[in-house]
Amino acid sequence: MSTATNTLARRSSFLGTWWVTVLFTTFGLVAAWVLLNLVIGGQCGQKCVIDTLAQMFRLATPIAFAAFCGVMCERAGVVDIGIEGKLLMGAMAGYAVNLFAFQALKDSMGVEAAGNLSRWLAVLAGVLASVILAALHAVVSIEFKVNQIISGTVVNILALGVTGYFYRQFLAENLPPGPGTFPIMNIPLLDQIPFIGPILFQQKPLTYIMFILLFAIQYVLFFTPWGLRTRAVGEHPRAADTLGINVFRTRYINVLVGGVIAGLGGVWFTLEAVDVFNPGMTNGLGFIGLAAMIFGKWSPFGALLGALIFGLGSSVTSTVSIFRPDIPSQIPQMLPYLLTIVVLTGVVGRAIPPAADGEPYEKQ
Amino acid sequence: MTLALQASGITKRFPGVLANDHVSFELEKGEIHALLGENGAGKSTLMNVLYGLYQPDEGEIRIDDKPTRITSPHDAIAQGIGMVHQHFMLVPPLTVTENIMLGQESVTSASKFLGGLSVLDRRTVAARVRELSHQYGLDVDPDAFVRDLTVGAQQRVEIVKALYRSAEILILDEPTAVLTPQEADEFFVIMRGLVEQGKSIVFITHKLREVFAVADRISVMRAGQMVGTVKPKEATSEKLAEMMVGRQVILQIDKADAHPGEEILRVENLRVMDDRKHMTVDGVSLSVRAGEILGVAGVQGNGQTELTEALTGLRRVAEGRVTILGHDTTHATPRQVVEVGTAHVPEDRHKHGLVLAFPIRDNLVLCSYYRSPFAKGLELDFPIIEKQAEELVTMFDIRTPSINTSAGSLSGGNQQKVIVARELSRPVKLLIASQPTRGLDVGSIEFIHQRIVEARDKGAAVLLISAELDEIMSLSDRIAVMYKGHILETLDAATATREQLGLLMAGVVKEGAHV
Amino acid sequence: MSSATLARPTTKIALVRMLDRAKMPALALVTAFVFGAVIIWITSGKFETILQAYDGLIRGALFKQRGLSESLVATVPYILLSLAVAVGFKSGLFNIGAEGQFYIGAISAAFVGQAFHGLPAIIHLPLTLLAGALGGAIWAGIPGYLKARTGAHEVISTMMMNYVAFRFTEYLISFPLKDKLATAVQTPRVSAAAELWTFADVPARLQDPLNALAVALVMTFLAYVLSRWLLARRLTNRLARWGLAIAVGVITFIGLPPLTRLWWPFPDQYDRLHIGLLMAIAAAVGVWWLLWKTTLGFEMRTVGANPNAAKYAGMSMTRNIMLTMAISGALAGLAGTAEVLGVSICRCLPLFFSSGYGFDSIAIALLANNNPFGILAASFLFGAMRNGADLMELNSGVSKYVISVIQAMLLLFAAAPAVVRWMYRMKVERHVEEEAVTMRGWGGG
Repeated sequence: MSTATNTLARRSSFLGTWWVTVLFTTFGLVAAWVLLNLVIGGQCGQKCVIDTLAQMFRLATPIAFAAFCGVMCERAGVVDIGIEGKLLMGAMAGYAVNLFAFQALKDSMGVEAAGNLSRWLAVLAGVLASVILAALHAVVSIEFKVNQIISGTVVNILALGVTGYFYRQFLAENLPPGPGTFPIMNIPLLDQIPFIGPILFQQKPLTYIMFILLFAIQYVLFFTPWGLRTRAVGEHPRAADTLGINVFRTRYINVLVGGVIAGLGGVWFTLEAVDVFNPGMTNGLGFIGLAAMIFGKWSPFGALLGALIFGLGSSVTSTVSIFRPDIPSQIPQMLPYLLTIVVLTGVVGRAIPPAADGEPYEKQ
Repeated sequence: MTLALQASGITKRFPGVLANDHVSFELEKGEIHALLGENGAGKSTLMNVLYGLYQPDEGEIRIDDKPTRITSPHDAIAQGIGMVHQHFMLVPPLTVTENIMLGQESVTSASKFLGGLSVLDRRTVAARVRELSHQYGLDVDPDAFVRDLTVGAQQRVEIVKALYRSAEILILDEPTAVLTPQEADEFFVIMRGLVEQGKSIVFITHKLREVFAVADRISVMRAGQMVGTVKPKEATSEKLAEMMVGRQVILQIDKADAHPGEEILRVENLRVMDDRKHMTVDGVSLSVRAGEILGVAGVQGNGQTELTEALTGLRRVAEGRVTILGHDTTHATPRQVVEVGTAHVPEDRHKHGLVLAFPIRDNLVLCSYYRSPFAKGLELDFPIIEKQAEELVTMFDIRTPSINTSAGSLSGGNQQKVIVARELSRPVKLLIASQPTRGLDVGSIEFIHQRIVEARDKGAAVLLISAELDEIMSLSDRIAVMYKGHILETLDAATATREQLGLLMAGVVKEGAHV
Repeated sequence: MSSATLARPTTKIALVRMLDRAKMPALALVTAFVFGAVIIWITSGKFETILQAYDGLIRGALFKQRGLSESLVATVPYILLSLAVAVGFKSGLFNIGAEGQFYIGAISAAFVGQAFHGLPAIIHLPLTLLAGALGGAIWAGIPGYLKARTGAHEVISTMMMNYVAFRFTEYLISFPLKDKLATAVQTPRVSAAAELWTFADVPARLQDPLNALAVALVMTFLAYVLSRWLLARRLTNRLARWGLAIAVGVITFIGLPPLTRLWWPFPDQYDRLHIGLLMAIAAAVGVWWLLWKTTLGFEMRTVGANPNAAKYAGMSMTRNIMLTMAISGALAGLAGTAEVLGVSICRCLPLFFSSGYGFDSIAIALLANNNPFGILAASFLFGAMRNGADLMELNSGVSKYVISVIQAMLLLFAAAPAVVRWMYRMKVERHVEEEAVTMRGWGGG
């Protein structure tokens, strides 16, 4: 008797989100199409809608990565507002390595092969840069028990400074040509499905990685011993401690894994979106990722939904800008941010974080 | 007689405190050994040492007559020691099964190679939980979420958790703090069952009666030292109390008869929801008159907290009416309730009662800082605030280096004195005191009890809410018993018996009939 | 037994205590600069670069011509912004949106400053300042309202408002408020009556009797406040105090203009330094008074330290959150106003104005542990560094951004004294101090 209903109840925290995801997405799509037609008077045909939706997934990618990083850290009880800084460092490191690796390799390997290799090396570099920042945040807040909001701010300021500094010193002018961003990877067969195909299966590699991560994180958090311990550490670290779980080690590892994820989000900016680096180019997407995480009640599917909402807002407004150049671009540019506020307050209001979130753990 | 556990010369120091002073303790196999002492005596410290949460500065531990070191709870578990803490070590959002297997998770054999990332095998663990539950008569549902369980059920989960890990020695820290007298009796039956199956139990308590009910031997600690070990047959309550406190203890407070005056507080059909949208106060009506103490007895979790919060404006009232001195305060703010003449000693002194980071001086004006003479318009008048603080510190014997010491540096007893001093420094028509002596040493308990009776004698109406039946019985003029959000019955304190109250606290209104 | 009456600490003890408290921040400062030196060395490859860089930095900040005055100019927005952030922190709110409120304050001031012509300074200047403060207050009040009503976390909502503010002001500057006569994209120049006077300009300004009246009124107010504080015991009669204050005011009105015409200290050194500095210092004193001497401030601090106890004590959470955000936003808005009215050369708001003050002010507030007087000192430090960075770059080729790195390290070491102690193998002391940031997480439920 109790097994079935309780299993269902246990699953419902993600099952509920799953159905809500579908519901919301459908509603959002319909609303978006109506808006599009209203504002641009029917000029947006099927191709335009498909492009807009494909772009929604593209633009949601860095936010999703940021949100996933947040989920990993906060489920273990570590607040991370330094995601913005990690994204920025990842972006810059990826950009720099992309350029210089290409220069180093192109003569020996040929342009195309060198380009591919240097891009993936760049991803590695971006991840590494982000992990270094994550390690800093972890050591300062877990070992030295500094308030996690402060240490996250330190990460942000440090990233702004370091990336700005390196940009000025090495990257501002006289740059050799690089291999450019990742090309679109079409998934054979699946991308031929009408309507959905071009939206979901004609994306760049990082977007696909985002989907893989979605399922991976869900699996790890709710189906594995590691996830169980992580959640225990985030809710009641002392209980976990008495059962022999190393609270500090669990938190360290989760924060570092979060750093890897944020690094992936960071390289999106310079390896998938555009082929340049500008100081501060992350433009608050790290914080929007946090909003998505809160919106998603610290679960990966919910976080993705939050990211998609923002991605949709950005994508629709950019489509509108194309068709209506008479509207000053700044107005639609404001909308995604306003949308985040509305979503945050309207839908979420009081989301309950993991109980020990933000509290440094003291062994007695 | 084999010794399951033997600790000798255990010494543990904390900054400024010698928590355990060369304590020796023995646990025989198959016995129930009670460890008695007042709050702060060092009992919990000793048990935490045995459970590996603290490392002793000196001393030796032997298990099954072999010297050993217990370096961590994990280590203690490995050596067969299980502990059920006073504040449960359970993770509320997880299920019983998940809580029990935490730290030594079972995984499906197919995915075992993935190590920490393999698939959890909840089914096997759930089966084992049912098995253990059956074997020891513990009635635990493996698939329930811990946050949905009653406190008594959570306690049983903790025991199963220890048994799952093959504990032979069980340490129980204040296990009956959250149970009615009848539930406690049932718990004692469970304890005897465990012991019959070969386990050895240490249980910590500060309640004298319990040790006579179930212990085979009683050890008393006082101020970090082991005072002595006796058998229940050889001891009396008075002797044990004296061992606990070191002097003659007045177990019953001496109070004059009540002369109740006009009605001060009237509660009519109050219904209040808790944070999880359950109607935890479900139709409570009561009345308190000037010059009397109405004690609300009941096990924690039957709506007392929400009732107090509703009466003091900290929680919304769903239905019903509250009238204080003729004013309708049903939807009043906390400030309005105070201005009508109410004093509130809150249940959780760290959460509501004090700002730990602020100095005592500020805490003493926490509720009246905005009124003259403490403030003129916007500006605070510090000389007057400080004068008030110094007076109160003297009057209430608050031990502190200065009025500028932060409240967080004080001991629990002194912190509570600050709160009581603050509340009683205003003219009080209605005093609402909720768990006023929880976790305090005997000296502070006596002091606060005296102040409460004093307030009553000065003409205040006192609403006393407490889970300690002794406190209720000793202080109250009338006793109301709260169970599952209702007041079942209100009795005259002079004639009420423990058994009567115990039955009511368990929801038994008539002989055998449960509510 | 009873508590011993606390002996009022002697001056000597107070001084020793102050030095002891300055020990850790000083070490943090030194260590941060050492880190900066290491970075410079690594990226430039030469040891001399460090010396060139720091030499440029210090000379540029203090000693070169106009060095000190430019440092002070840069200090003013830092003071106001950091006060804004600190007020938030004291109440348990993280106002990361100070930069957006800065922009809105700036644009409000830029608008009001040029919307009226012919108004005398005694009306126009306060009006413009008010407009800037109000703009910031409203911009911060919206997230404040959302937090009070729905619990929406202010880190995210104020951050979003930042970006909305950037785009919104961009739009306003590019279209409705664009100066049609200028070639660059910027707002029109504010009228002279709305400008914040430069110090060099003060004697000339005082010749206008209305301006003199304004200054006299300010002096009257100051005299009254000072007399309450300093002469509290000797002049208890309120009438006497007012009498004294008015006397001071009259003397100022009659005497100051001719006096300044005859003699005005340091006439050549002020350059761009404007009276906004005085306003900022007054704001710091005001915040100190508000937080530690008033009932309102007591409530704000209690809400920050223990919101549950605050509720128990009868304090209204909604009112306090909104008030805190409004005050915080007003201060940030004033910073933007000072930027337009005092710092900018065109006395306007140009399009690609980027302040970069955003995170710095958070660092300053944390460095100073939210103490207004500490903020004055730390703001000067940051302002000086920012100013000196130009000469440093010129001198040594080291990019200005290394300052950001040093500042991040400074924040880290100041916020984590434990790190510094660990690095220098110092013993750990136990203080029960008020923390700079009391909120820890998202505080749901």
